[in-house]
Amino acid sequence: MIIERSSNWRENFIERFDNDGPWDSWTLYKMSYDIEKMNLIPEFSGLQAPKFLTNLQLLPHQVEAAQTVIEKMNGKAILADEVGLGKTIEAGLIMKEYMIRGLVKKALILVPASLQNQWVTELNVRFFIPAISYRKNTPIEQYDVVVMSMDTAKKSPHREKIYEQDYDMIIIDEAHKLKNHKTQIYEFVQSLKKKFCLLLTATPIQNDVFEIFYLVSLLKPGHLGNYETFQSSFSTTKNSLEDEKYLKELVNQVMVRNRRQDTGIEWTNRQVETIPIQFTQEEREVYDMLYELKSISSVFSSSFTMVTLLKEMCSSKEATFLTLNKMLQKCITKEESDYIEKIIEKLMKLEINAKAEKTYEIINRANDKVIIFTEYRATQVYLQWYLYTKGITSVLFNGKFSKSKRDWVKQLFRERDQVLIATESGGEGINLQFCHHVINYDLPWNPMKLEQRIGRVHRLGQESDVHIYNLAIEDTIEQKILSLLGEKIDVFEKVVGDLDDILTRKA
Amino acid sequence: MFGAQVHDYLYTFFKETNCDILLDEEHYLTVQLTIDIDKKIMNRPFYWKYIESTNSEPNPARLTLITDRTKVEKQLFGEVIHFGSARLNQIFKATKELGSFVQMYEKEDSSTGKFTTLTPYFCVNYKVSYYCDQTKERLYSLGINLINGAIEDNFHESICELSLDPKMPEGAFCLQYIIKPSRALERLDLMIQKIIQQDDHTWAEDAKKRWIRELEVLDYFYEGEETRPESYEIEKKALEERFNPRIKVEIINGGLFYLK
Repeated sequence: MIIERSSNWRENFIERFDNDGPWDSWTLYKMSYDIEKMNLIPEFSGLQAPKFLTNLQLLPHQVEAAQTVIEKMNGKAILADEVGLGKTIEAGLIMKEYMIRGLVKKALILVPASLQNQWVTELNVRFFIPAISYRKNTPIEQYDVVVMSMDTAKKSPHREKIYEQDYDMIIIDEAHKLKNHKTQIYEFVQSLKKKFCLLLTATPIQNDVFEIFYLVSLLKPGHLGNYETFQSSFSTTKNSLEDEKYLKELVNQVMVRNRRQDTGIEWTNRQVETIPIQFTQEEREVYDMLYELKSISSVFSSSFTMVTLLKEMCSSKEATFLTLNKMLQKCITKEESDYIEKIIEKLMKLEINAKAEKTYEIINRANDKVIIFTEYRATQVYLQWYLYTKGITSVLFNGKFSKSKRDWVKQLFRERDQVLIATESGGEGINLQFCHHVINYDLPWNPMKLEQRIGRVHRLGQESDVHIYNLAIEDTIEQKILSLLGEKIDVFEKVVGDLDDILTRKA
Repeated sequence: MFGAQVHDYLYTFFKETNCDILLDEEHYLTVQLTIDIDKKIMNRPFYWKYIESTNSEPNPARLTLITDRTKVEKQLFGEVIHFGSARLNQIFKATKELGSFVQMYEKEDSSTGKFTTLTPYFCVNYKVSYYCDQTKERLYSLGINLINGAIEDNFHESICELSLDPKMPEGAFCLQYIIKPSRALERLDLMIQKIIQQDDHTWAEDAKKRWIRELEVLDYFYEGEETRPESYEIEKKALEERFNPRIKVEIINGGLFYLK
């Protein structure tokens, strides 16, 4: 084996010897030796980092996760703890350990734009890792640890600049954004050299089992076989239990997943309720008319538009109107536009929104801070107005808000308003442990989105039980969504592991 | 290293490097840096470049370092310093630079007043690191007698117990070395190589096994593909960088010692 000899100590010593000095201080000489001794890494195993991290109270499951990744997974892993258990801490700890051990010098951290500053702060303040936030024109080659938004990284000229660097470690937060292998970001990461690599996601499967295949193949190509073998073994819905067990075992070789209940920390309970709602007679009529649209004309037959419309109708007339109005522009025959206008007319006459009323009822009963999640901006605004007429103040939130605006909204919600109304994209990057009630006003197709929403509230630091209300209107598309969510949760639990309650448990 | 240890360390460091300690309270200290130390620990090369190129009055920093924030009750403007912090790491680095080469003499026992003969030794403190996807380090302090060539380990620990002085004591006689220090350095380098060769290297074999296993998995992914894409080569290179076992030998410091 080759032995590298570093340092020019030899030449310098001979020079000093020949000139008889200057000689250094004996005290500093001894101090230098003592420091080396103190910082020595005596064993391949074990963690050195914790003794340096005096600003951090590490939890046992976090230390264990770091150790597993380093010792058993050789530094490439998916960190899939449930939301709120500190995946960032685990990743920081692993990176710090590798830096101390001299195995990582340059690292790239790819995150959603909204989390960029949070990462930079955490790394600097808690881990003493001098990370910088990448902006346009940052001279990337001058910094060792760079935090960059995924959207920036995948585009020219940034991606080329990244490829020119030789990173020892790549960390990707919210890695479920890489579930689709046809996206630009997936291809970008695939072509990136990944010596040590961590993928962070609470939700390694959101919809189907292929997502975990693509995620693992990014990290460790071949671990789950290639596409053909994987497809033939695991893709069919009629998997035998044996296959699923085998897959789960394979996945767990590259994935660390802590669940709240395994952490030894006392967690407050989640009380999940599905609230069935009845449309009013008038609402039902409009819904049925929308449902009939597809038989009126081929213009309306796109199933995507149909599904959107039906979902919007379950949300608010405001949301529905916007889409209908757009469709009106596309109508060709008079018959088509007449029908739509008829719906719009009926729609505008609606006075009662059954779901909004139910929401008000829940807020009233809770008599506490409440977060409402909706998928539609129009509904968001409508709800604010509606609640205002009932004497309830609220503040709006969405993911496009800047860091300072986020903080401001959070403060308003904590100190002034009873309700926070957030759109889907507002799910990440805001932590609201002081609130204990979450209303899922609209249901997303993806159960992990629900988990992310709940995770804003049910995380470390939450001291009360958390109440979750999933609203679904009976005999509508929302009931289908509800059952589909149930099926997806089932796949997740079979391949990845159990989940905390998102929906009401089946009996 | 706790607050009190950090405090002692800083105190000694600044004393040794001739920085004026203006205030030394239990949990913080204020120090006026010298130009040299400012350059080493303050991280502001542009400032110093500017000062030097414009011939301006240099103004080295005055630092208040808080070694235990929790114990300081009054409002105090200063930098919190602790084990793991970047500033302390810089001070460690400066210590290493400033404590690299020594020449020391064992002190005369004043009571006897006898004429003593001092034997020359040459010592090198080595750090040996084993790297693969994991790391292990060992310290070796090797000392060689420059008269008879005998080498001993743990040399540093043994001389730390002696009382040493940078000046040759009066009335002492230093034997002239027979082995030249440059030659002695070669002998120690050979010795450390021998020590490494005789060490247990199953760690390297294990790393290679992990490497081969992961390579097989990778090959499986691209099985049947005629021309393998670039990502295959990239991944292969990453595996090599991660698992390829390497050994590094670094010299921490060393010097000449005249001992009884």
